[in-house]
Amino acid sequence: MRRRSLTLRQLLSFLLSIVAAAPLLLALPSSPAAQKTALHLDGTPADPFLAALGKPVVLIFVRTDCPISNRYAPLIQRIGSKYGAKVALWLVYPSRTSTAEKIRRHERDYGYKLSAVLDPQHALVTQAQVQVTPEAAVFDANHHLFYHGRIDDLYQDFGHARLAATTHELDDAIRAALSGKTPPPNTPGVGCFIADAE
Amino acid sequence: MTSSGRTIVACLLGFSSATAAAYASHGGATVRPPMPAAQQATFNRDIAPILFRYCALCHRPGEAGPFPLLTYADAKARARQIAALTSKRFMPPWLPVPQELRFADELRLSDEQIALIQEWVEQGAVEGAPADLPRAPQFVPGWQLGRPDEIIEAEKPYTLPASGSDMYWNFIFRTPVDRTHWLKAIEIRPGDKRVVHHANILVDRNQSARRLEAEPRAGFPGMELKIESEAFDPDSHFLFWKPGTVPKPEPEGMSLRLDKDTDLVLNIHLQPSGKPEKILPNLGLYFTDQPATHFPLLLQLESDKQLDIPPGEKRFLVTDEFTLPVDVDLLAIYPHAHYLGKDLQALATLPDGSAKTLIHIPQWNLNWQAVYRYADPVPLPKGTTISMRYIYDNSSENLANPNDPPRRVVAGNRSSDEMAHLWLQVLPHVSSNADFDPRMLLQETMARHNLEKNPADFAAHYNLAAMLQARGAQSEAIQNFELAVRLRPQDATANNALGASLLAAGRIGEAIPYLNAALRAQPDNFDAHYNLASALASQDKFLEAIEHYRAAIRLHPDDANAEANLGSALAEAGKLSEAKLHFQRALRIDPNHKLARENLEQINRDPKNLQQ
Repeated sequence: MRRRSLTLRQLLSFLLSIVAAAPLLLALPSSPAAQKTALHLDGTPADPFLAALGKPVVLIFVRTDCPISNRYAPLIQRIGSKYGAKVALWLVYPSRTSTAEKIRRHERDYGYKLSAVLDPQHALVTQAQVQVTPEAAVFDANHHLFYHGRIDDLYQDFGHARLAATTHELDDAIRAALSGKTPPPNTPGVGCFIADAE
Repeated sequence: MTSSGRTIVACLLGFSSATAAAYASHGGATVRPPMPAAQQATFNRDIAPILFRYCALCHRPGEAGPFPLLTYADAKARARQIAALTSKRFMPPWLPVPQELRFADELRLSDEQIALIQEWVEQGAVEGAPADLPRAPQFVPGWQLGRPDEIIEAEKPYTLPASGSDMYWNFIFRTPVDRTHWLKAIEIRPGDKRVVHHANILVDRNQSARRLEAEPRAGFPGMELKIESEAFDPDSHFLFWKPGTVPKPEPEGMSLRLDKDTDLVLNIHLQPSGKPEKILPNLGLYFTDQPATHFPLLLQLESDKQLDIPPGEKRFLVTDEFTLPVDVDLLAIYPHAHYLGKDLQALATLPDGSAKTLIHIPQWNLNWQAVYRYADPVPLPKGTTISMRYIYDNSSENLANPNDPPRRVVAGNRSSDEMAHLWLQVLPHVSSNADFDPRMLLQETMARHNLEKNPADFAAHYNLAAMLQARGAQSEAIQNFELAVRLRPQDATANNALGASLLAAGRIGEAIPYLNAALRAQPDNFDAHYNLASALASQDKFLEAIEHYRAAIRLHPDDANAEANLGSALAEAGKLSEAKLHFQRALRIDPNHKLARENLEQINRDPKNLQQ
């Protein structure tokens, strides 16, 4: 039993490094990034790309105590429901201090029914090139970074929210990834700085 | 800490959000080499005093701030956020630019303080020596002024949807007093402070807002409210809450009158948080046995009629000017526009030609609107001209523009309409030998000013008429009430007032149709029933009068005058035993009621009167 389990673990990390290699190298050429990893809420290593071979991967970065990312919760959930199994969509909490219990409660409070991972070492943050919550990253079916940045243009700046968004970058990017079209330009989001959550 | 480096940081203020994000993400890796340790900014010495004074009021558990800022760990975990938000002057929220007349509790950071925060973050946000840390601010838990004398809770919570645009909701609080009380303070607890942007209490002496509830006691939506009130309302206080508000007792002598049957309407501005939020506000009432001796007044300048803003217009100017007919002290100011408001300014030009900026907000933001109280009362002599200059931006460059693409916008009550209002709380100087009440002269002058701007201003005609009536200028009062009724033929209050004014002038036959019109418009109008009953009684139509007095009493069962008059009408109609009962009721309500006592004595003196 022990022997079989070890084999499986090795195989997993092998796959992980293949999938993650290209974008990671682009982002941080000299970084030994493969050693950093995101975690499932039960504390085991998580690789959002692993179970999504041939499928676009969508990572949406949120924080439990960021009012702007919280305000997006209903929209994020709607996007998750809209695309269902066509994409692998994950909520990513880039926090070192949030506990699994805190995140489960947050998901419950805000009506999230999406899979969530913790990214305490900012492995996915680096890979996705995001800077604030909420921002999203869309990776195409080959798992190349395809779009990263804001979800839409609801917020123009701190304290300057439109009554309704007029552009919908995340939705457009997912559709483009599914249909092989050109993604929208990467546009930074407005929100809470992920670099603070070290 | 006045290093040359700080100047460089200050020059970076006001960059775009994209730049700010990029800057923040690179953190300490900036162009400047680290400063020597001796000059390094530290949390304990440099940053804690700023956070404790300007931020902790809201950024602590239970308050509006989304996270606490009370410790080094709190600040370190938000360091870049703090640097970015203060450099844009988004935090702390304080809209007016510095001016000679100072406001109380100013929350504006100096350029040096902002630069210091940037410097601290760039240098790695270090904690510093424990000995440098000032004592953390102490906050009173719970009610800020101690246990209130009465606490009233909203009768039904409002559930704010998880998403959508800003919401404005109104709760009606039925006040629990059985007689007139004087209030030294009202503390507003608006519900979950993280979703409430601001809240405002309107005093509704006529319970007029209740008619706006689709379901009784459920509250109602709406951004701007018009509350019917007595035209001459002496209790003109701002009752306003915004994040960080610490309630303060009203100044000595300026207690607020709270009558029986007065409703307090709490208008609150809510912003969805991403999850449904149950909002259940409550109010704490603090009584005093000191009736008011000083009576402030709210003056309103406005230029709503000028608001017709073409799409794309970036600098649409509206103005209003009002010259004070009496000496006043200006206590507080409340500018108000909606989402297109850009540059809001108010000036006072004194009779000697000197000018004072009363307030200047160059970058208006509706979300942070506030009542601003002056640190000291501002004396403004008679003849001072107060002017407002508001500039609106209806282009797509205005990030708050509710219309995409921009469209023509005019004045209105919805958040997508516009407003140009400036409220001033003034305390008129009362001289001991004056034979007039300066508040009434102010009100009358204001009403005439409004009619010059807009001859079809219903409220101005009504208010002017009420002032004229109060100072005995009866025929001009009747003319203005007539003009008000012509503008709003279905308005119960105006019809009743015209009827009452004609009644007072002895023109009973003319009064009756207006009183009937008031009741057609509002069958439960106590005043109209009472006045109509009195008019009918004057025409010896006692049976009809009795019906209307009864209707009035059904609405207000403890009105001594209605009981006494019903008694009189019943006596005139020969129903003496029933009359006696109502005189007795009037005396139970008011043991000093002269009419009831005299009439009752008269019936009791002649026992034959009771034999039928």
